[in-house]
Amino acid sequence: MSNKSSQNVSELMDGELEKDCSKFLLKRMQSDDQLSQTWDNYHLMRSYLQQQNDAPLMHDLGAQVMAKIKQEQVVAESPADNRLHAWFKPLLGSAIAASVAWLAVLNFDGSGDINGTQSINNDMAVVKTAAQLIAPPAAHTARVEQKAVYTKYPSLTPKVQQYLIERNGQQVEVLPSYYNAEYMQQLQQQIRNKENSKTAE
Amino acid sequence: MKSKNKIMSEPNLDAALVEEAKKGETKAFELLVNRYQQKVANVIAKFVRDHHEIQDVAQEVFIKVFRALPNFRGDSSFYTWIYRIAVNTAKNHLVAKGRRIQNAPVEFEEAENFSSNEEYRNLDTPDAVYARDELEATMSKAIASLPEDLRSAIILREVDGLSYEQIAEKMDCPIGTVRSRIFRARDAVDQVLKPLKLTESTRKTNVK
Repeated sequence: MSNKSSQNVSELMDGELEKDCSKFLLKRMQSDDQLSQTWDNYHLMRSYLQQQNDAPLMHDLGAQVMAKIKQEQVVAESPADNRLHAWFKPLLGSAIAASVAWLAVLNFDGSGDINGTQSINNDMAVVKTAAQLIAPPAAHTARVEQKAVYTKYPSLTPKVQQYLIERNGQQVEVLPSYYNAEYMQQLQQQIRNKENSKTAE
Repeated sequence: MKSKNKIMSEPNLDAALVEEAKKGETKAFELLVNRYQQKVANVIAKFVRDHHEIQDVAQEVFIKVFRALPNFRGDSSFYTWIYRIAVNTAKNHLVAKGRRIQNAPVEFEEAENFSSNEEYRNLDTPDAVYARDELEATMSKAIASLPEDLRSAIILREVDGLSYEQIAEKMDCPIGTVRSRIFRARDAVDQVLKPLKLTESTRKTNVK
């Protein structure tokens, strides 16, 4: 840096430099560290000579102020992130809880009925097949459930039960709860006897 | 002799720096702060005695100035504006300090726990105190060792606040000589300060 530039800085700070030159120097000082350092040192000397009221000698306050302002700007920006986290965290927690709950619904049938029946509504039930009871299907596979058919004859196969219901209608109602071959023969005999007596009449 | 219409007066210089700072040029604001830091400290020292507090309040003043800068329309001079801010900030500091003392008495345990106490943490380090003392001592020595004509010119300018023209009259010499004397006085001190500040910045870097 030339002596002329330093002298210009000296005249500029005293308001004794020409306008054009002043404007140029002001621009230059913003990018030239040596020039701005000269400005600071000349003002430090002024500060030393103008100290009053037992004030401390001030120097380089500009850099400290700008550092503080930048620091405050950073701090002011970071709570925004925290605010984002503040509402995002519970939301994330809720989402995880909902996912876990949904998985639980898919994996478990809820009733835990050891007989393999499960009531969906009051008037409807589903029955699991033996295979399903032994090896429950995975959540992601389709489950095959049979619709329950109400029956008084648990020892009969579903096909026989269905046949009896369709064939005999109301008569089924009089059949006993427990299937017994001897009793069935007696019953059939009674029915045959009734039919014979009717034909005899 | 330069025409008064052609020179940039001090108020105009401040206005130019303010305009640059308003445009977001932080370096321009730094130049403004370093230009007025002592005057502001002198004002604050009328209300606050403690040197560390004066520095803190001065910093607060310039932070307020920076934030309010877009609202500064230039109706008054820049110094008049920051003078008002400095007075208000110093008064508010005293009120706040009074409240702090009233509402939050310092516990003995807290006072002993130096690192957790904000009030005590603001104290300067011995290094900083030493650097400031060294700076003042060096400056005092440098000014004292100036040739008589240079010292007289710079004191008439900085302490008495005379213009170059008035100094020329007072010293009975051409205005160009005044320019030269003032510059040479400043340059002599600058040459002494530069290595000192370099040492200080190196020390700060090493501490970091």
